[in-house]
Amino acid sequence: MIRHTLAAGLLAAATALPAYAQAPAAPVPGWAVGRPEGSTLAPHAPRLTVTPLDQVPVGALRLPAGFTAEVYAHGMPGVRMMTEGPNGTIFAGTRAIGRVYAVSRNPDGTTRTRVIAQGLPQPNGLVMVGNSLYVLAVNRVLRYDNIEANLDNVPQPVDLTAAFALPTEQEHGGNHHWKFATLGPDGRIYTNVGVNCNVCQTDRDKFALLVSFNPDGSGRRIEARGIRNSVGMTHHPVTRELYATNNGRDWAGNNWPQDTLHRVRQSGEDHGFPFCSAGAADPQHNAGHLCSGFVQPAALLGPHTAALGLRFYTGTMFPERYRNQIFIARRGSWNREQLSGFDVVVAHLDPQGNVMFIEDFLTGLRDDANQRFLDRPVDVHVMRDGSLLVAGEQMGAIYRITYRQ
Amino acid sequence: MLAAAVVAAALSTAAAAQDARRGEDLAARLHCTNCHGTDGRSRMEDIPSLAGQQPGYITIQMILFREGIRQVPAMQAFAQNMPDKDIEDLAAYFASLPPGPAEDRRPRDPALFAAGEALIGPRNCAVCHLPSLAGREQVPRITDQREDFLARTLKEYRDGNRVGADPQMNGAVAGMPDAEILALAHYLSHRD
Repeated sequence: MIRHTLAAGLLAAATALPAYAQAPAAPVPGWAVGRPEGSTLAPHAPRLTVTPLDQVPVGALRLPAGFTAEVYAHGMPGVRMMTEGPNGTIFAGTRAIGRVYAVSRNPDGTTRTRVIAQGLPQPNGLVMVGNSLYVLAVNRVLRYDNIEANLDNVPQPVDLTAAFALPTEQEHGGNHHWKFATLGPDGRIYTNVGVNCNVCQTDRDKFALLVSFNPDGSGRRIEARGIRNSVGMTHHPVTRELYATNNGRDWAGNNWPQDTLHRVRQSGEDHGFPFCSAGAADPQHNAGHLCSGFVQPAALLGPHTAALGLRFYTGTMFPERYRNQIFIARRGSWNREQLSGFDVVVAHLDPQGNVMFIEDFLTGLRDDANQRFLDRPVDVHVMRDGSLLVAGEQMGAIYRITYRQ
Repeated sequence: MLAAAVVAAALSTAAAAQDARRGEDLAARLHCTNCHGTDGRSRMEDIPSLAGQQPGYITIQMILFREGIRQVPAMQAFAQNMPDKDIEDLAAYFASLPPGPAEDRRPRDPALFAAGEALIGPRNCAVCHLPSLAGREQVPRITDQREDFLARTLKEYRDGNRVGADPQMNGAVAGMPDAEILALAHYLSHRD
């Protein structure tokens, strides 16, 4: 009830904006566009220092019966999106700290972490194509050939930046320019081009897109239009359809819009942003569009939860009910008075690929009583043994989830 | 380098997370105070004051120097390979010093001060830096700072020559005329 009233208040404040929008052209930090006067909400500070192992909150993780969590690797400030090489090396990107990590397993089962690249602009998009590691860092695209054989002596990457021709940080105005990357079953590299603002009318062929490329950067194809900022994409192992998470706009209330899961059945479909979000009209940017005319979200993932990395569970270690279901990391909110997210959920699908329900999987990182969080899950990865890795960005650790009957 | 950082962090778990006393010794040993001032108030052109600066901000900037993401030649040698613990202790030390102007601050120009003050609202400075402009966590204090350093920094953000932990400042000052930057810098340096 209280929450509802608050949301209504924020909405009223947001719709009253034109009054102070008339002030002389006043560039606001991108994330603060539309912010109601007096709100003190702001993005949480990143932690870029090493978290000692005894402070990694693995003991706080809550999982369904039969599942166990352990620390797979740690001492990796800002660790984010993961991909795995053919020999089992886990590569992980970052944002502010500019590093790419490689985690290999020692013969005794422990892991060893190396920094294989540093000083890059937000190297968040990582994908393996054969033996080559692709690193997408804003508009830079770097290919590290035969990387797993050269972890101690990383060769100069092949620079494919010009071929991919992604928008620069300047073109993005500093907004939503970091990438997620995945390899499609068609051998193409799929990535996002986020919107260049919080919410605005923009070039809809250039921003708020899912796009795919041939691995040499040629053949750019728009996979989906009107998706504000997706930092998680994966293909259904059976239907081969693309599923993507999306971060909804800010400053439209505590409970609207929800972050969303999108299903792309056909390349080029329009999912509606900025006119519609989460299936409903945007209070400022609808511009007379019927939301039923756009592709509807496959699922709602909670307001401001920051749903990011997602993967289908294709292993056999977990119980049957998790096979071919989607694990989704929710990094957690900042643009909401009560914290939301900071967990991993599962989207359960029917055989046709329709989402039936969303279920909690990994919780315990959000401390509601004190309105604080212990870590921020940003990506998941299914290992070949069927265990699930979860990257915790705030504490710089990768957790490994196993199941035993 | 990462391994060294891990070991340093592991060894320090018994101590407080941030140790301002140890940071003071480090600052003396590394001669930080030669440029940034013995009281953390810089008397050198273009060198920032660090007294009362947000520790989270100092920590992140030092890490960006160390990682080669923010490139300032004068800082490179100091930040290279510096363990997290040293960075956090230095940050705690400078944060503990009372903020304020150095004695070489030029007199207040009432017209310029007023022009700068008038920009704070329209430029939404308080959105991130808070109404006190003292900052929070990763967002720096922008009062009690040298006028020349503020002006140079704003120009660097405007011209795309400076990156932070995020690019928000680049957007905030996009297209800002020099005259506005100078007025804002004057106001901030005189807002006591």
